Amino acid sequence: MSNTGKVWAVGAMNSRRFLRERSNLFFAFVFPLALILIIGLQFGGDAAPRLGVVDPGGDIAGIVSEQLAAAQLDITIVRSDDAGSLVERVESTDLDAAIVFPPDLDDTIARGDEATIGFTTANTTAGQQLATLVDDILARALAVPTVEQLAVERGADPAQAAAAAARLEPTLARIEVATVTTGDRLFPSDIEGYDVAAPSTLVLFVFVNGLAGSYALIQSRQLGISSRMMSTPTSVRSIIFGEALGRLSIGLIQGGYILLATLVVFGVNWGDPLGATIILVMVAAVSAGASMCFGVLFSNPEQASGIGVVVALGFGALGGAMMPIELFSDTLETIARFTPHFWAIDAFAELVRHDASITDIGTQLGVLGLFAVGFLLFAAWRMRIVLTRPGRA
Amino acid sequence: MRGGDDAEPHARVAWPTAPASGPCRGGAPIDPVLEVDGISKRFGELQAVDSVTFRVAPGETYGLLGPNGAGKSTCISMIAALLTPDAGTIRVLGQEMTTSSTAGRAQIGLVPQEVAVYPDLTARENLRFFGRLYDITGGALNTRVDQILDVIGLTERADDRSSEFSGGMNRRLNIGIGLLHQPQLLILDEPTVGVDPQSRNAILDSVEQLSAEGMAVLYTTHYMEEAERLCDRIGIIDAGKLKAEGTRRELTTSVGERDRVQVGVSGSLEPALDAVRHLDGVTSASTTDDGITLITDDAGPILARVLDAITGAGGSVTTVEVSQPDLEAVFLHLTGKALRD
Repeated sequence: MSNTGKVWAVGAMNSRRFLRERSNLFFAFVFPLALILIIGLQFGGDAAPRLGVVDPGGDIAGIVSEQLAAAQLDITIVRSDDAGSLVERVESTDLDAAIVFPPDLDDTIARGDEATIGFTTANTTAGQQLATLVDDILARALAVPTVEQLAVERGADPAQAAAAAARLEPTLARIEVATVTTGDRLFPSDIEGYDVAAPSTLVLFVFVNGLAGSYALIQSRQLGISSRMMSTPTSVRSIIFGEALGRLSIGLIQGGYILLATLVVFGVNWGDPLGATIILVMVAAVSAGASMCFGVLFSNPEQASGIGVVVALGFGALGGAMMPIELFSDTLETIARFTPHFWAIDAFAELVRHDASITDIGTQLGVLGLFAVGFLLFAAWRMRIVLTRPGRA
Repeated sequence: MRGGDDAEPHARVAWPTAPASGPCRGGAPIDPVLEVDGISKRFGELQAVDSVTFRVAPGETYGLLGPNGAGKSTCISMIAALLTPDAGTIRVLGQEMTTSSTAGRAQIGLVPQEVAVYPDLTARENLRFFGRLYDITGGALNTRVDQILDVIGLTERADDRSSEFSGGMNRRLNIGIGLLHQPQLLILDEPTVGVDPQSRNAILDSVEQLSAEGMAVLYTTHYMEEAERLCDRIGIIDAGKLKAEGTRRELTTSVGERDRVQVGVSGSLEPALDAVRHLDGVTSASTTDDGITLITDDAGPILARVLDAITGAGGSVTTVEVSQPDLEAVFLHLTGKALRD
């Protein structure tokens, strides 16, 4: 078998071992998506408020619907005849609020009886905005027929009462709800929470799993498998390349999965596909190099794995994988630049938020490339020493 | 007990200690599979291996016998090209073994002391992985893996992870990996450590079988019984030095140890004693309460003559007991300490 074939054999064996471990599968594939879902829901971005409406017809419902549609808030109205399903959608935050008009609303008001209009709101900013807006529109919509009814009750001619009440309408106080963002926008208005959460989570978890997986390299040495590989007609270089390829493959599989799954499930906008792919390759390469560094610097698998996770999370936090870099102070942003996470997330941000192309992220890719080469060269140098020194196994 | 007899069912080679003499079989020179010439290795202050020289011929099982820390595994590491000797050379089938060259490694199968298999891979996956590293591919790999699974008795468990195996099964898998590429030289580094008696016996049977099929075997152990059972020649190693080497008989003789034959005799003892005392090969003879005790270099060839002589002198043989000196005594003589110290 050629050296290339042996490199593939070692790489494939590493990938197989990783994918066989159930806990690896959870932390590589399930947990990141769950986290993206939670973060995406929590930080839904500036998307238009979504209001469910059950409108059985009638003047009052018509006026309210008309005014909601005309509001500055740019409301997305979802019409339905099923009040229950709308309420459920609010509970699941698929809608921010739902308003349910009773079928006999106009007649009830005309009789002077008490009417109940159902309004359900989610505990979101958009929900609270809708509540304020709907309160105002309803108050004004109900003011005219209420005044008309009062006049008729006090002996006025119904036609005259209606005309007088109609003349009052323009004079009623009006509340308008508008969202004003001060300073520069953090993200463009079309960017959703998932678009922000997915790239940073991808970067974070490729590194977390990469460093946590560094134990496998130490385990191979402890079990004497590295020595055994060295006793076969396989060069040290092939073994080192194979170990690196295995880790690179794992990062690519995990990152590729997160990228595709969030694209399909959450509709995440990853921007330029070529750019996103190259960033992913770079992230996987840096993670593979860092994983190998841990694997050759530590001699205890549990220690390497534990410290690896802490370092990956710490660098992730510093590098903007847990909080948007845009919220960092200048000092913190300077520190963040020493982490590969920063450059990867920044590159993704350029693609996702600013429609950048691959040429626009050359600097970020270059820095990631330097990280990858630096880590891999150091790891290869150390690994050669570790594999060929006495008592390595 | 192969180590105790010079005449074996299959041809065995008794190597001279001096490498210059060269190996012969039936008068014709035989190219050794392994040539170790004066290798040394020092780790800091510790001289782990000191000018060790020996040869292993095709079909020969050579044992390196010594206590823990004697330098056996360091020797193995240098022979397998995992370590570079400070001095000396190692050749496998004439090819020099170095850490930078992979050529000679294709001829050796290393079975390390530890069970060097991936616990989270199945037996078949482990074999396939190492098979590819040994340059076996495609259909040949599948065939060879199936053969090895059969040889090591793991066909039924081929697709179970090795983490689910017993210690003995893992040891067998460990050996199977070393046999994948049909090496000319099989190196077994204490393969029975921590193994139950049944598996141990199975491993020893396998080694005997491989040797009978013509494979050269280098076997390290600190179990005297294994060396005596398996090895055609034995090198006694202690503190990094090869103290002596040869067949078991040569080793015991070289340190003055002799066979002791106790013959129970009914009837008059004196005529019987006179009859055996002057037989060729008998070093000394004396009477006991119920028989005669003989000291001889090798009891095997003279035993029949001794019994005939006693019978001819009017004695009646009731019991015969032969005590052969063991390697423990040799080791004690050579090093001044017991093998398991």
